[in-house]
Amino acid sequence: MRRVMFWIAVVIVLCAFILPIAWVYVTSLKSPEDIFRPEKLAFLPTLYNYKYIVTVRPSLLEFRNALIITLASTALVMGVSLPAAYSFARFNTGGGHLLFITISTRMFPPVVAAIPFFFLFRDWGLLDTHLGLILLYIYFNMSFATFLLYGFFREIPEELEHAAMVDGYGRLSIFRKVIFPLIKPGAAITTVFCLVWAWNEFLFAFLFTRRVARTVAVGLAVFWGSIEIQWGPMAALMGLAILPTLAAAWFMQRFIIRGLTFGAVKG
Amino acid sequence: MTERAVVKSLETRKTVWQVLSADAYIKWFLIVPLLAVLSAFMFYPLFYCLYMSFHEYVLRAPPLYIGVENYRTVLHDAVFWQAVGRTFYVLVVCIAVELSLGMGIALLFNREFRGQNTIRGVCLLPLLISPLAMSLMWNYMLHVQFGIVNQVLVWLRLGAVEWISNPKIAIYSIMFISIWQWTPFSIFVLLAGLRGLPKDALEAARVDGASRWFTFRRLTLRMLMPLIIIIVLLRTMWLIRIFDPLYGTTRGGVGTEMLDWFIYRIAFVFFDVGKGSALAIFSLYVTIVLCAILYRQLIKALGTAR
Repeated sequence: MRRVMFWIAVVIVLCAFILPIAWVYVTSLKSPEDIFRPEKLAFLPTLYNYKYIVTVRPSLLEFRNALIITLASTALVMGVSLPAAYSFARFNTGGGHLLFITISTRMFPPVVAAIPFFFLFRDWGLLDTHLGLILLYIYFNMSFATFLLYGFFREIPEELEHAAMVDGYGRLSIFRKVIFPLIKPGAAITTVFCLVWAWNEFLFAFLFTRRVARTVAVGLAVFWGSIEIQWGPMAALMGLAILPTLAAAWFMQRFIIRGLTFGAVKG
Repeated sequence: MTERAVVKSLETRKTVWQVLSADAYIKWFLIVPLLAVLSAFMFYPLFYCLYMSFHEYVLRAPPLYIGVENYRTVLHDAVFWQAVGRTFYVLVVCIAVELSLGMGIALLFNREFRGQNTIRGVCLLPLLISPLAMSLMWNYMLHVQFGIVNQVLVWLRLGAVEWISNPKIAIYSIMFISIWQWTPFSIFVLLAGLRGLPKDALEAARVDGASRWFTFRRLTLRMLMPLIIIIVLLRTMWLIRIFDPLYGTTRGGVGTEMLDWFIYRIAFVFFDVGKGSALAIFSLYVTIVLCAILYRQLIKALGTAR
């Protein structure tokens, strides 16, 4: 009896999380008429909406933009955050204050950070460019990436490094041979988080891109026109846009229980 | 390479690295890129906003110094205080619901069962999906005429509800969207915490005949306190900045305007940079005070949990 209750609860939880996502794909297969007839459960699936976002209002460029910006910004964030997090974790650089300042970058309202950067970027010709958005996403992701990596680095016992040092390894080879293999799962999780956040980010993309460097998130909002909302094509684009994040979720579920412990808590 | 050559190469290597790899230098050396990004992306906007908040600047004319006038107008603006109050209301309700739901589901998942990894992985999905996309989707699903939610209600003979367009309900719809998306975060942090709890303490309590509720309240909850505070801290930071669910549904209308949307409207719709900056400084101040309080609680909880 308890087992039955348990599985009923699990099924309810799963449905609550899956059904809305499934509805994206159901909607994307509906014809323009069926979109407005929810009472019709059995409908004839059509690829009309997918054809629409490829031919009538091409959205493939938005995918390319989002991909370039996401990959480049994540690579740069990791390049900045990995050494910094190591330094925070091993040497307690700045006595904890610097780490708090780093985290507090996320407290600054992004809407507001956008004001000065908007004028700066306009003067430097960075509006509606890939580079501009990449720079903003470094700011957007850096603090949390550093915080996550800090936790992972803290879990690596310092004695390992001392032992390697006694064995005559230099700093560089210690990092490469001792620390990197141990930080790899943590770094992988952090990378995926950065990829997902940069991919999903909307506010900066919305304010800083118009046409040339427009990302998928902004492309979605464009279907909300002044007259009507084109639900069908929007759902189709949504369905394609969330595919990479579904892949990310599949990748992460192996690590996640270990990963989200926020090693920082252990002190 | 002969042995001597190896030794020699190591020696020359050492002289180069000796300076850089001394602890005192390398720790700063590693952190330089971060500091560079920080100063560019944090201090520049901060000082720009501080400067502009004391000026009248609506783009056409050059900035004009007006002292604390911007702050005065903002603090006397009833719309602003409504937005602030609403933000805090959303903050409290969302975090409370997310934590209770998250704890419930984490307790549910805190055991071995078939397909556990897949099922837990599925619960991760809402967390990773674009908030804007899901808000738009919820907007469609909650639509008063052709939303599936209302259709189900009609089938159950409960009648349709104006989820998004009714000013009394819209705010709760936005809360619901946010809760749907972020409960998995609580689930996973708490689940990780539950699995890391020391088994012997719980076992001892059971042997001593403590009730399950007592054990949960006095042991489990207390040991999980640091994680709960971390969730509250992070969710506070993120919820004060809530924007996407608003853009995807009501766009600040029907009584749902919140702090960041208000700032967005002032700064990017009316282009009142001075007032927007004053609002920004206020918003930052509130966030830092809130987070500092929570941060102190976290340190305290870490002390007692050990």
